[in-house]
Amino acid sequence: MFSLLKKEIQLEWRQKHALAGVLLYVLATVFVCYLALQSIEAPDVWNALLWITALFTAFNALQRTFHQETGGTLYYLYTLASPRQIMLAKMIYYGLQAALLNGMSFALFLFFFGTGVFSDADMGQFLTGLLLGSTGLGMALTFLAGLVFRSGAGAGLVAVLGFPVVMPLMITMVRFSRFAMDGLSWSENGLNLLILLVLNAAFLILSLVLFPYLWRD
Amino acid sequence: MKVWLKVICILLLVYTAIAGMVHPLIPGGLDVRTETLHPGLNSFTFIGYNTSFLEQRSELQLFVAVDSTFFCATITEVTDNTHASATVELPDTLPSVSFAFYANTPHDGTVYVGKAVSHRGFATDPVARPAGCNVNVVSDEHAAFGFPFQIILFETIRNIMWHVPMWFTMFVLMLFSMALSIKTLRAMGQETTDVHQYKKVLSADRRARIYASSGMLFCLLGLVTGSIWARFTWGAWWTMDPQLNGAMVVFLVYAAYFILRSSIEDEEKRARLAAIFNIFAAVLMVILLMIMPRFAEGLHPGKSGNPAFSQYDLDSSLRTVFYPAVLGWILLGYWLYSIHYRIAQLEETDEHDA
Repeated sequence: MFSLLKKEIQLEWRQKHALAGVLLYVLATVFVCYLALQSIEAPDVWNALLWITALFTAFNALQRTFHQETGGTLYYLYTLASPRQIMLAKMIYYGLQAALLNGMSFALFLFFFGTGVFSDADMGQFLTGLLLGSTGLGMALTFLAGLVFRSGAGAGLVAVLGFPVVMPLMITMVRFSRFAMDGLSWSENGLNLLILLVLNAAFLILSLVLFPYLWRD
Repeated sequence: MKVWLKVICILLLVYTAIAGMVHPLIPGGLDVRTETLHPGLNSFTFIGYNTSFLEQRSELQLFVAVDSTFFCATITEVTDNTHASATVELPDTLPSVSFAFYANTPHDGTVYVGKAVSHRGFATDPVARPAGCNVNVVSDEHAAFGFPFQIILFETIRNIMWHVPMWFTMFVLMLFSMALSIKTLRAMGQETTDVHQYKKVLSADRRARIYASSGMLFCLLGLVTGSIWARFTWGAWWTMDPQLNGAMVVFLVYAAYFILRSSIEDEEKRARLAAIFNIFAAVLMVILLMIMPRFAEGLHPGKSGNPAFSQYDLDSSLRTVFYPAVLGWILLGYWLYSIHYRIAQLEETDEHDA
Protein backbone atom coordinates (compact mmCIF):
# COMPACT_ATOMS: atom_id res chain seq x y z
CA MET A 1 0.00 0.00 0.00
CA PHE A 2 2.59 2.51 1.12
CA SER A 3 4.98 1.44 -1.57
CA LEU A 4 2.22 2.02 -4.11
CA LEU A 5 1.68 5.48 -2.70
CA LYS A 6 5.43 6.05 -2.79
CA LYS A 7 5.52 4.90 -6.39
CA GLU A 8 2.93 7.51 -7.35
CA ILE A 9 4.87 10.25 -5.63
CA GLN A 10 8.14 9.17 -7.23
CA LEU A 11 6.55 8.96 -10.65
CA GLU A 12 5.13 12.42 -10.26
CA TRP A 13 8.49 13.72 -9.11
CA ARG A 14 10.13 12.24 -12.17
CA GLN A 15 7.56 14.06 -14.27
CA LYS A 16 8.03 17.41 -12.59
CA HIS A 17 7.39 19.19 -15.84
CA ALA A 18 3.79 17.98 -15.90
CA LEU A 19 3.08 19.18 -12.38
CA ALA A 20 4.89 22.42 -13.12
CA GLY A 21 2.61 22.80 -16.11
CA VAL A 22 -0.47 22.55 -13.88
CA LEU A 23 0.98 25.02 -11.40
CA LEU A 24 1.65 27.45 -14.20
CA TYR A 25 -1.92 26.91 -15.37
CA VAL A 26 -3.26 27.82 -11.92
CA LEU A 27 -1.07 30.90 -11.69
CA ALA A 28 -2.01 32.06 -15.18
CA THR A 29 -5.73 31.56 -14.56
CA VAL A 30 -5.77 33.50 -11.32
CA PHE A 31 -3.63 36.22 -12.88
CA VAL A 32 -6.01 36.56 -15.82
CA CYS A 33 -8.89 36.86 -13.35
CA TYR A 34 -6.94 39.60 -11.60
CA LEU A 35 -6.19 41.46 -14.83
CA ALA A 36 -9.82 41.30 -15.84
CA LEU A 37 -11.37 42.30 -12.52
CA GLN A 38 -8.66 43.89 -10.34
CA SER A 39 -10.81 43.69 -7.29
CA ILE A 40 -13.81 41.60 -6.34
CA GLU A 41 -16.35 43.03 -3.96
CA ALA A 42 -19.08 40.42 -4.33
CA PRO A 43 -18.52 37.13 -2.49
CA ASP A 44 -20.60 35.38 -5.18
CA VAL A 45 -18.12 36.26 -7.88
CA TRP A 46 -15.17 35.33 -5.67
CA ASN A 47 -16.70 31.97 -4.94
CA ALA A 48 -17.63 31.26 -8.55
CA LEU A 49 -14.17 32.11 -9.88
CA LEU A 50 -12.43 30.02 -7.24
CA TRP A 51 -14.50 26.95 -8.01
CA ILE A 52 -14.24 27.35 -11.75
CA THR A 53 -10.47 27.53 -11.35
CA ALA A 54 -10.55 24.50 -9.04
CA LEU A 55 -12.68 22.50 -11.48
CA PHE A 56 -10.52 23.12 -14.49
CA THR A 57 -7.30 22.64 -12.55
CA ALA A 58 -8.53 19.28 -11.38
CA PHE A 59 -9.43 18.24 -14.93
CA ASN A 60 -6.04 19.37 -16.15
CA ALA A 61 -4.09 17.60 -13.46
CA LEU A 62 -6.07 14.39 -13.28
CA GLN A 63 -6.72 13.30 -16.81
CA ARG A 64 -3.24 11.80 -17.01
CA THR A 65 -3.77 9.74 -13.86
CA PHE A 66 -3.34 6.40 -15.57
CA HIS A 67 -1.21 7.30 -18.49
CA GLN A 68 2.05 6.18 -16.93
CA GLU A 69 0.60 2.69 -16.60
CA THR A 70 1.45 1.59 -20.14
CA GLY A 71 2.51 -1.76 -21.48
CA GLY A 72 4.59 -3.77 -19.05
CA THR A 73 3.99 -1.64 -15.96
CA LEU A 74 0.34 -2.60 -15.99
CA TYR A 75 0.99 -6.31 -15.86
CA TYR A 76 3.81 -5.90 -13.39
CA LEU A 77 1.53 -3.97 -11.02
CA TYR A 78 -1.16 -6.56 -11.54
CA THR A 79 1.09 -9.30 -10.20
CA LEU A 80 2.19 -7.22 -7.21
CA ALA A 81 -1.00 -5.84 -5.74
CA SER A 82 -4.76 -6.23 -5.83
CA PRO A 83 -6.63 -3.75 -8.03
CA ARG A 84 -8.34 -2.27 -4.97
CA GLN A 85 -5.01 -1.41 -3.41
CA ILE A 86 -3.85 0.22 -6.61
CA MET A 87 -7.05 2.24 -6.86
CA LEU A 88 -6.94 3.27 -3.22
CA ALA A 89 -3.34 4.42 -3.53
CA LYS A 90 -4.12 6.41 -6.62
CA MET A 91 -7.21 7.99 -5.10
CA ILE A 92 -5.39 9.01 -1.94
CA TYR A 93 -2.55 10.47 -3.93
CA TYR A 94 -4.66 12.36 -6.43
CA GLY A 95 -7.18 13.46 -3.82
CA LEU A 96 -4.33 15.04 -1.88
CA GLN A 97 -2.85 16.49 -5.02
CA ALA A 98 -6.16 18.12 -5.91
CA ALA A 99 -6.46 19.50 -2.38
CA LEU A 100 -2.95 20.90 -2.63
CA LEU A 101 -3.57 22.51 -6.01
CA ASN A 102 -6.88 24.00 -4.91
CA GLY A 103 -5.27 25.23 -1.72
CA MET A 104 -2.75 26.92 -3.93
CA SER A 105 -5.33 28.58 -6.14
CA PHE A 106 -7.08 29.73 -2.95
CA ALA A 107 -3.82 31.23 -1.67
CA LEU A 108 -3.23 32.93 -5.01
CA PHE A 109 -6.74 34.37 -4.96
CA LEU A 110 -6.07 35.76 -1.49
CA PHE A 111 -2.74 37.14 -2.70
CA PHE A 112 -4.19 38.94 -5.70
CA PHE A 113 -7.60 39.97 -4.46
CA GLY A 114 -7.00 40.43 -0.73
CA THR A 115 -9.11 39.08 2.09
CA GLY A 116 -11.90 41.66 1.84
CA VAL A 117 -14.70 39.22 1.09
CA PHE A 118 -13.72 37.04 4.05
CA SER A 119 -14.40 39.63 6.73
CA ASP A 120 -17.41 37.69 8.10
CA ALA A 121 -16.30 34.26 6.98
CA ASP A 122 -15.84 31.14 9.02
CA MET A 123 -12.40 30.17 7.71
CA GLY A 124 -12.33 26.70 9.26
CA GLN A 125 -15.58 25.91 7.50
CA PHE A 126 -14.41 27.31 4.20
CA LEU A 127 -11.19 25.29 4.28
CA THR A 128 -13.10 22.13 5.20
CA GLY A 129 -15.28 22.70 2.15
CA LEU A 130 -12.21 23.24 0.00
CA LEU A 131 -10.65 20.03 1.28
CA LEU A 132 -13.76 17.87 0.87
CA GLY A 133 -14.52 19.35 -2.52
CA SER A 134 -10.98 18.67 -3.70
CA THR A 135 -10.90 15.08 -2.45
CA GLY A 136 -14.28 14.42 -4.07
CA LEU A 137 -13.09 15.90 -7.35
CA GLY A 138 -9.84 13.97 -7.09
CA MET A 139 -11.50 10.63 -6.44
CA ALA A 140 -14.22 10.95 -9.07
CA LEU A 141 -11.82 12.09 -11.75
CA THR A 142 -9.19 9.47 -10.91
CA PHE A 143 -11.80 6.78 -11.40
CA LEU A 144 -13.12 8.27 -14.62
CA ALA A 145 -9.59 8.73 -15.94
CA GLY A 146 -9.03 5.01 -15.30
CA LEU A 147 -12.26 4.21 -17.14
CA VAL A 148 -11.33 6.33 -20.12
CA PHE A 149 -7.77 5.00 -20.12
CA ARG A 150 -9.10 1.45 -20.36
CA SER A 151 -11.52 2.40 -23.10
CA GLY A 152 -8.62 3.41 -25.30
CA ALA A 153 -10.34 6.65 -26.25
CA GLY A 154 -8.50 9.95 -25.98
CA ALA A 155 -8.12 11.83 -22.72
CA GLY A 156 -10.67 14.36 -23.98
CA LEU A 157 -13.38 11.89 -23.01
CA VAL A 158 -12.52 12.45 -19.33
CA ALA A 159 -13.90 15.96 -19.59
CA VAL A 160 -17.05 14.78 -21.38
CA LEU A 161 -17.82 12.15 -18.73
CA GLY A 162 -16.43 14.13 -15.83
CA PHE A 163 -18.38 17.38 -16.04
CA PRO A 164 -21.83 15.89 -15.47
CA VAL A 165 -20.53 13.50 -12.83
CA VAL A 166 -18.88 16.17 -10.67
CA MET A 167 -21.81 18.58 -11.08
CA PRO A 168 -23.62 17.48 -7.87
CA LEU A 169 -20.33 17.96 -6.04
CA MET A 170 -19.92 21.42 -7.55
CA ILE A 171 -23.49 22.47 -6.69
CA THR A 172 -23.00 21.48 -3.06
CA MET A 173 -19.48 22.86 -2.74
CA VAL A 174 -20.43 26.22 -4.15
CA ARG A 175 -23.33 26.49 -1.73
CA PHE A 176 -21.33 25.23 1.23
CA SER A 177 -18.46 27.64 0.72
CA ARG A 178 -20.85 30.49 -0.03
CA PHE A 179 -22.56 29.91 3.32
CA ALA A 180 -19.14 29.69 4.98
CA MET A 181 -18.24 33.06 3.49
CA ASP A 182 -21.35 34.54 5.08
CA GLY A 183 -20.16 33.15 8.39
CA LEU A 184 -23.09 30.79 8.98
CA SER A 185 -22.70 28.42 11.89
CA TRP A 186 -21.79 24.77 11.46
CA SER A 187 -25.28 23.66 12.37
CA GLU A 188 -26.84 25.89 9.71
CA ASN A 189 -24.41 24.61 7.11
CA GLY A 190 -24.48 21.03 8.37
CA LEU A 191 -26.76 19.60 5.68
CA ASN A 192 -24.48 20.78 2.90
CA LEU A 193 -21.54 19.26 4.77
CA LEU A 194 -23.50 16.03 5.04
CA ILE A 195 -24.12 15.95 1.29
CA LEU A 196 -20.43 16.62 0.66
CA LEU A 197 -19.54 13.69 2.89
CA VAL A 198 -22.15 11.45 1.25
CA LEU A 199 -20.80 12.29 -2.20
CA ASN A 200 -17.21 11.66 -1.10
CA ALA A 201 -18.22 8.33 0.42
CA ALA A 202 -20.19 7.39 -2.71
CA PHE A 203 -17.27 8.13 -4.99
CA LEU A 204 -14.88 6.22 -2.73
CA ILE A 205 -17.05 3.14 -2.32
CA LEU A 206 -18.18 2.96 -5.95
CA SER A 207 -14.62 3.30 -7.18
CA LEU A 208 -13.36 0.58 -4.89
CA VAL A 209 -16.21 -1.77 -5.74
CA LEU A 210 -16.11 -1.24 -9.48
CA PHE A 211 -12.40 -0.85 -10.11
CA PRO A 212 -11.55 -4.58 -10.14
CA TYR A 213 -13.95 -4.98 -13.09
CA LEU A 214 -12.25 -2.11 -14.82
CA TRP A 215 -8.81 -3.48 -14.25
CA ARG A 216 -9.09 -6.99 -15.64
CA ASP A 217 -8.96 -7.63 -19.30
CA MET B 1 -44.88 -7.86 -23.32
CA LYS B 2 -48.07 -9.74 -22.57
CA VAL B 3 -51.23 -8.58 -24.32
CA TRP B 4 -53.20 -8.20 -21.10
CA LEU B 5 -50.48 -5.89 -19.76
CA LYS B 6 -50.81 -3.76 -22.87
CA VAL B 7 -54.56 -3.61 -22.41
CA ILE B 8 -54.20 -2.57 -18.78
CA CYS B 9 -51.65 0.04 -19.79
CA ILE B 10 -53.93 1.57 -22.43
CA LEU B 11 -56.97 1.49 -20.12
CA LEU B 12 -55.05 3.18 -17.31
CA LEU B 13 -53.68 5.90 -19.57
CA VAL B 14 -57.05 6.57 -21.20
CA TYR B 15 -58.66 6.69 -17.76
CA THR B 16 -56.09 9.14 -16.41
CA ALA B 17 -56.25 11.32 -19.51
CA ILE B 18 -60.02 11.60 -19.24
CA ALA B 19 -60.41 11.70 -15.46
CA GLY B 20 -57.50 14.11 -15.14
CA MET B 21 -59.27 16.54 -17.42
CA VAL B 22 -62.96 16.21 -16.53
CA HIS B 23 -62.92 16.44 -12.74
CA PRO B 24 -63.70 20.04 -11.85
CA LEU B 25 -61.73 21.88 -9.23
CA ILE B 26 -63.59 22.23 -5.96
CA PRO B 27 -64.98 25.72 -5.34
CA GLY B 28 -62.58 28.30 -4.01
CA GLY B 29 -62.21 32.00 -3.38
CA LEU B 30 -60.30 33.72 -6.15
CA ASP B 31 -60.18 37.41 -5.30
CA VAL B 32 -61.85 40.28 -3.51
CA ARG B 33 -62.31 43.73 -4.99
CA THR B 34 -62.61 46.52 -2.51
CA GLU B 35 -61.65 50.11 -1.82
CA THR B 36 -59.51 50.99 1.18
CA LEU B 37 -61.27 49.58 4.24
CA HIS B 38 -62.29 52.07 6.90
CA PRO B 39 -64.54 52.14 9.99
CA GLY B 40 -68.18 52.25 9.04
CA LEU B 41 -69.86 50.95 5.90
CA ASN B 42 -67.60 49.27 3.30
CA SER B 43 -68.56 47.61 0.06
CA PHE B 44 -66.72 44.75 -1.66
CA THR B 45 -67.12 42.22 -4.42
CA PHE B 46 -66.29 38.60 -3.75
CA ILE B 47 -65.03 36.60 -6.74
CA GLY B 48 -65.28 32.87 -6.45
CA TYR B 49 -64.01 30.06 -8.61
CA ASN B 50 -66.32 27.23 -9.67
CA THR B 51 -68.85 28.55 -7.16
CA SER B 52 -72.60 28.72 -7.78
CA PHE B 53 -73.71 31.94 -6.08
CA LEU B 54 -76.64 32.50 -8.38
CA GLU B 55 -78.22 29.10 -7.84
CA GLN B 56 -77.86 29.39 -4.08
CA ARG B 57 -78.71 33.06 -3.83
CA SER B 58 -81.04 32.55 -0.88
CA GLU B 59 -78.57 30.64 1.24
CA LEU B 60 -75.43 32.59 0.37
CA GLN B 61 -73.68 34.32 3.25
CA LEU B 62 -70.76 36.70 2.90
CA PHE B 63 -68.69 37.86 5.85
CA VAL B 64 -65.40 39.44 6.79
CA ALA B 65 -63.18 37.84 9.43
CA VAL B 66 -60.77 39.78 11.61
CA ASP B 67 -58.87 37.31 13.76
CA SER B 68 -61.68 35.14 15.07
CA THR B 69 -64.38 37.77 14.92
CA PHE B 70 -66.79 37.64 11.99
CA PHE B 71 -68.71 40.57 10.57
CA CYS B 72 -71.68 39.62 8.45
CA ALA B 73 -72.13 41.42 5.19
CA THR B 74 -75.38 42.39 3.53
CA ILE B 75 -75.50 41.09 -0.01
CA THR B 76 -76.43 43.80 -2.44
CA GLU B 77 -76.05 42.09 -5.77
CA VAL B 78 -75.19 38.71 -7.20
CA THR B 79 -74.17 39.25 -10.81
CA ASP B 80 -73.38 35.66 -11.69
CA ASN B 81 -72.21 32.41 -10.16
CA THR B 82 -68.79 33.78 -9.33
CA HIS B 83 -69.43 37.45 -8.48
CA ALA B 84 -71.26 38.72 -5.42
CA SER B 85 -71.21 42.26 -4.06
CA ALA B 86 -71.98 43.15 -0.47
CA THR B 87 -71.63 45.83 2.17
CA VAL B 88 -70.27 45.35 5.65
CA GLU B 89 -70.24 47.54 8.74
CA LEU B 90 -66.90 47.60 10.56
CA PRO B 91 -66.25 49.11 14.04
CA ASP B 92 -63.56 51.63 15.01
CA THR B 93 -61.53 49.26 17.15
CA LEU B 94 -60.39 45.83 15.94
CA PRO B 95 -58.22 43.11 17.52
CA SER B 96 -55.91 43.23 14.46
CA VAL B 97 -55.99 44.41 10.88
CA SER B 98 -55.62 41.11 9.04
CA PHE B 99 -58.79 40.76 7.00
CA ALA B 100 -60.08 37.61 5.35
CA PHE B 101 -63.20 37.41 3.19
CA TYR B 102 -65.52 34.41 3.34
CA ALA B 103 -68.40 33.14 1.31
CA ASN B 104 -70.57 30.45 2.83
CA THR B 105 -73.03 28.19 1.01
CA PRO B 106 -74.38 24.91 2.28
CA HIS B 107 -73.61 23.23 -1.05
CA ASP B 108 -70.05 24.40 -1.72
CA GLY B 109 -68.94 24.76 1.88
CA THR B 110 -67.01 27.79 3.03
CA VAL B 111 -64.57 29.40 0.66
CA TYR B 112 -62.32 32.29 1.54
CA VAL B 113 -59.82 34.79 0.22
CA GLY B 114 -56.99 35.81 2.54
CA LYS B 115 -55.69 38.95 0.95
CA ALA B 116 -53.68 41.95 2.04
CA VAL B 117 -56.13 44.84 1.64
CA SER B 118 -55.29 48.45 2.35
CA HIS B 119 -57.06 49.93 5.35
CA ARG B 120 -57.11 53.21 7.23
CA GLY B 121 -58.50 54.65 10.44
CA PHE B 122 -58.79 51.54 12.60
CA ALA B 123 -57.54 51.49 16.18
CA THR B 124 -56.12 48.07 17.04
CA ASP B 125 -56.34 46.57 20.46
CA PRO B 126 -55.55 42.86 20.93
CA VAL B 127 -58.15 42.50 23.67
CA ALA B 128 -60.87 44.32 21.78
CA ARG B 129 -63.90 42.09 21.27
CA PRO B 130 -66.19 43.98 18.95
CA ALA B 131 -69.63 42.55 18.52
CA GLY B 132 -69.55 40.30 15.48
CA CYS B 133 -72.11 37.91 14.11
CA ASN B 134 -72.39 34.16 14.35
CA VAL B 135 -71.81 32.17 11.20
CA ASN B 136 -71.65 28.53 10.54
CA VAL B 137 -68.24 27.88 9.00
CA VAL B 138 -68.24 24.64 7.03
CA SER B 139 -64.62 24.52 6.05
CA ASP B 140 -63.08 21.77 3.91
CA GLU B 141 -66.27 19.83 3.38
CA HIS B 142 -67.40 19.48 -0.15
CA ALA B 143 -70.39 17.71 -1.46
CA ALA B 144 -68.86 17.75 -4.94
CA PHE B 145 -65.98 15.47 -5.90
CA GLY B 146 -63.14 17.44 -7.43
CA PHE B 147 -59.48 18.35 -7.45
CA PRO B 148 -58.13 20.64 -4.73
CA PHE B 149 -58.34 24.33 -5.37
CA GLN B 150 -54.88 25.81 -4.90
CA ILE B 151 -53.98 29.44 -5.37
CA ILE B 152 -51.12 29.70 -7.94
CA LEU B 153 -51.80 26.22 -9.30
CA PHE B 154 -55.48 26.55 -10.24
CA GLU B 155 -56.30 24.34 -13.23
CA THR B 156 -52.66 23.41 -13.83
CA ILE B 157 -52.95 21.03 -10.90
CA ARG B 158 -54.00 18.51 -13.55
CA ASN B 159 -50.41 18.44 -14.79
CA ILE B 160 -49.58 16.33 -11.75
CA MET B 161 -51.01 13.40 -13.77
CA TRP B 162 -48.46 13.97 -16.53
CA HIS B 163 -45.36 15.50 -15.03
CA VAL B 164 -44.83 13.37 -11.94
CA PRO B 165 -45.37 9.90 -13.53
CA MET B 166 -42.60 10.72 -16.03
CA TRP B 167 -40.08 10.84 -13.21
CA PHE B 168 -41.43 7.67 -11.61
CA THR B 169 -41.11 5.90 -14.94
CA MET B 170 -37.62 7.22 -15.56
CA PHE B 171 -36.58 6.12 -12.10
CA VAL B 172 -37.88 2.59 -12.59
CA LEU B 173 -36.33 2.24 -16.05
CA MET B 174 -32.95 3.51 -14.85
CA LEU B 175 -32.97 1.13 -11.90
CA PHE B 176 -33.74 -1.79 -14.25
CA SER B 177 -30.89 -0.59 -16.41
CA MET B 178 -28.56 -0.59 -13.41
CA ALA B 179 -29.67 -4.08 -12.40
CA LEU B 180 -28.81 -5.33 -15.88
CA SER B 181 -25.44 -3.60 -15.74
CA ILE B 182 -24.70 -5.43 -12.51
CA LYS B 183 -25.74 -8.62 -14.25
CA THR B 184 -23.36 -7.82 -17.11
CA LEU B 185 -20.45 -7.44 -14.73
CA ARG B 186 -21.33 -10.59 -12.82
CA ALA B 187 -21.59 -12.62 -16.01
CA MET B 188 -18.15 -11.34 -16.96
CA GLY B 189 -16.72 -12.26 -13.59
CA GLN B 190 -17.01 -15.93 -14.43
CA GLU B 191 -13.86 -16.87 -16.29
CA THR B 192 -14.98 -18.85 -19.29
CA THR B 193 -14.50 -18.98 -22.99
CA ASP B 194 -18.00 -20.28 -23.51
CA VAL B 195 -19.78 -18.60 -26.40
CA HIS B 196 -23.09 -18.68 -24.54
CA GLN B 197 -21.57 -16.79 -21.67
CA TYR B 198 -20.29 -14.16 -24.08
CA LYS B 199 -23.73 -13.85 -25.63
CA LYS B 200 -25.31 -13.53 -22.21
CA VAL B 201 -23.03 -10.62 -21.41
CA LEU B 202 -23.82 -8.82 -24.63
CA SER B 203 -27.54 -9.43 -24.25
CA ALA B 204 -27.59 -8.02 -20.71
CA ASP B 205 -25.60 -5.05 -21.90
CA ARG B 206 -27.99 -4.41 -24.76
CA ARG B 207 -30.98 -4.54 -22.45
CA ALA B 208 -29.27 -2.13 -20.05
CA ARG B 209 -28.67 0.23 -22.95
CA ILE B 210 -32.27 0.10 -24.14
CA TYR B 211 -33.65 0.64 -20.64
CA ALA B 212 -31.39 3.65 -20.26
CA SER B 213 -32.43 5.12 -23.61
CA SER B 214 -36.14 4.65 -22.80
CA GLY B 215 -35.46 6.27 -19.45
CA MET B 216 -33.82 9.21 -21.21
CA LEU B 217 -36.99 9.80 -23.20
CA PHE B 218 -39.04 10.01 -19.99
CA CYS B 219 -36.42 12.26 -18.43
CA LEU B 220 -36.80 14.61 -21.38
CA LEU B 221 -40.61 14.48 -21.16
CA GLY B 222 -40.40 15.18 -17.42
CA LEU B 223 -38.20 18.19 -18.05
CA VAL B 224 -40.52 19.53 -20.76
CA THR B 225 -43.77 19.07 -18.83
CA GLY B 226 -42.10 20.51 -15.73
CA SER B 227 -40.77 23.49 -17.63
CA ILE B 228 -44.19 24.34 -19.03
CA TRP B 229 -45.71 23.98 -15.58
CA ALA B 230 -43.01 26.17 -14.04
CA ARG B 231 -43.74 28.88 -16.61
CA PHE B 232 -47.37 29.07 -15.55
CA THR B 233 -46.93 28.77 -11.80
CA TRP B 234 -43.48 30.09 -10.88
CA GLY B 235 -43.25 32.50 -13.80
CA ALA B 236 -40.16 31.22 -15.60
CA TRP B 237 -39.26 28.32 -17.88
CA TRP B 238 -36.38 27.43 -15.61
CA THR B 239 -36.02 28.27 -11.94
CA MET B 240 -33.24 27.82 -9.42
CA ASP B 241 -34.64 24.73 -7.77
CA PRO B 242 -32.57 21.74 -6.61
CA GLN B 243 -34.99 19.26 -8.17
CA LEU B 244 -34.73 20.95 -11.55
CA ASN B 245 -30.98 21.26 -11.49
CA GLY B 246 -30.68 17.67 -10.29
CA ALA B 247 -32.88 16.45 -13.14
CA MET B 248 -30.76 18.35 -15.63
CA VAL B 249 -27.56 16.81 -14.23
CA VAL B 250 -29.12 13.34 -14.41
CA PHE B 251 -29.92 13.99 -18.06
CA LEU B 252 -26.33 15.06 -18.72
CA VAL B 253 -24.87 12.06 -16.88
CA TYR B 254 -26.91 9.65 -19.00
CA ALA B 255 -25.99 11.57 -22.12
CA ALA B 256 -22.36 10.98 -21.10
CA TYR B 257 -23.19 7.27 -20.78
CA PHE B 258 -24.20 7.15 -24.44
CA ILE B 259 -21.16 9.14 -25.51
CA LEU B 260 -18.96 6.66 -23.66
CA ARG B 261 -20.69 3.78 -25.44
CA SER B 262 -20.27 5.29 -28.85
CA SER B 263 -16.57 5.95 -28.35
CA ILE B 264 -15.62 2.31 -27.73
CA GLU B 265 -15.34 -0.04 -30.69
CA ASP B 266 -14.82 -3.41 -29.07
CA GLU B 267 -18.15 -4.99 -28.03
CA GLU B 268 -16.95 -6.78 -24.94
CA LYS B 269 -14.98 -3.82 -23.65
CA ARG B 270 -17.91 -1.51 -24.34
CA ALA B 271 -20.24 -3.76 -22.36
CA ARG B 272 -17.88 -3.78 -19.39
CA LEU B 273 -17.01 -0.08 -19.24
CA ALA B 274 -20.54 1.09 -19.99
CA ALA B 275 -21.88 -1.15 -17.21
CA ILE B 276 -19.40 0.37 -14.76
CA PHE B 277 -20.37 3.90 -15.72
CA ASN B 278 -24.06 3.05 -15.64
CA ILE B 279 -23.87 1.91 -12.02
CA PHE B 280 -22.06 5.13 -11.21
CA ALA B 281 -24.78 7.10 -12.98
CA ALA B 282 -27.63 5.34 -11.17
CA VAL B 283 -26.12 6.04 -7.76
CA LEU B 284 -25.67 9.68 -8.71
CA MET B 285 -29.30 9.79 -9.86
CA VAL B 286 -30.52 8.58 -6.47
CA ILE B 287 -28.36 11.14 -4.68
CA LEU B 288 -29.40 13.96 -7.00
CA LEU B 289 -33.13 13.35 -7.11
CA MET B 290 -33.84 11.71 -3.76
CA ILE B 291 -31.30 13.06 -1.28
CA MET B 292 -30.11 16.48 -2.33
CA PRO B 293 -33.51 18.19 -2.90
CA ARG B 294 -34.57 17.26 0.62
CA PHE B 295 -31.77 19.32 2.10
CA ALA B 296 -31.95 22.45 -0.01
CA GLU B 297 -34.55 25.16 -0.20
CA GLY B 298 -36.66 24.78 -3.31
CA LEU B 299 -40.07 25.33 -4.81
CA HIS B 300 -41.27 21.77 -5.33
CA PRO B 301 -44.08 20.46 -3.18
CA GLY B 302 -43.20 17.84 -0.59
CA LYS B 303 -39.67 19.15 -0.28
CA SER B 304 -38.09 21.59 2.15
CA GLY B 305 -41.29 22.09 4.11
CA ASN B 306 -43.58 22.72 1.14
CA PRO B 307 -46.79 20.75 1.43
CA ALA B 308 -47.11 17.59 -0.62
CA PHE B 309 -50.51 16.70 -1.95
CA SER B 310 -51.30 14.55 1.04
CA GLN B 311 -51.90 17.78 2.94
CA TYR B 312 -54.51 19.22 0.63
CA ASP B 313 -55.92 16.29 -1.28
CA LEU B 314 -58.65 15.87 1.28
CA ASP B 315 -61.10 13.66 -0.51
CA SER B 316 -58.30 11.70 -2.29
CA SER B 317 -59.58 12.85 -5.66
CA LEU B 318 -56.03 13.41 -6.86
CA ARG B 319 -54.92 10.01 -5.69
CA THR B 320 -57.65 8.16 -7.55
CA VAL B 321 -56.18 9.48 -10.78
CA PHE B 322 -52.54 9.85 -9.80
CA TYR B 323 -51.73 6.27 -8.81
CA PRO B 324 -53.29 4.74 -11.95
CA ALA B 325 -51.36 7.34 -13.96
CA VAL B 326 -48.05 6.29 -12.41
CA LEU B 327 -48.76 2.62 -13.05
CA GLY B 328 -49.93 3.29 -16.60
CA TRP B 329 -46.86 5.30 -17.51
CA ILE B 330 -44.49 2.73 -16.01
CA LEU B 331 -46.20 0.05 -18.09
CA LEU B 332 -45.87 2.28 -21.15
CA GLY B 333 -42.17 2.69 -20.40
CA TYR B 334 -41.77 -1.07 -20.25
CA TRP B 335 -43.76 -1.44 -23.46
CA LEU B 336 -41.49 1.04 -25.19
CA TYR B 337 -38.48 -0.87 -23.94
CA SER B 338 -39.79 -4.20 -25.22
CA ILE B 339 -40.40 -2.77 -28.69
CA HIS B 340 -36.90 -1.30 -28.78
CA TYR B 341 -35.52 -4.59 -27.61
CA ARG B 342 -37.27 -6.51 -30.37
CA ILE B 343 -35.95 -4.08 -32.96
CA ALA B 344 -32.41 -4.50 -31.62
CA GLN B 345 -32.78 -8.28 -31.74
CA LEU B 346 -34.04 -8.21 -35.32
CA GLU B 347 -31.20 -5.94 -36.37
CA GLU B 348 -28.73 -8.37 -34.86
CA THR B 349 -30.10 -11.44 -36.63
CA ASP B 350 -30.17 -9.34 -39.79
CA GLU B 351 -26.46 -8.68 -39.42
CA HIS B 352 -25.72 -12.35 -38.90
CA ASP B 353 -27.68 -13.38 -41.94
CA ALA B 354 -26.05 -10.84 -44.20
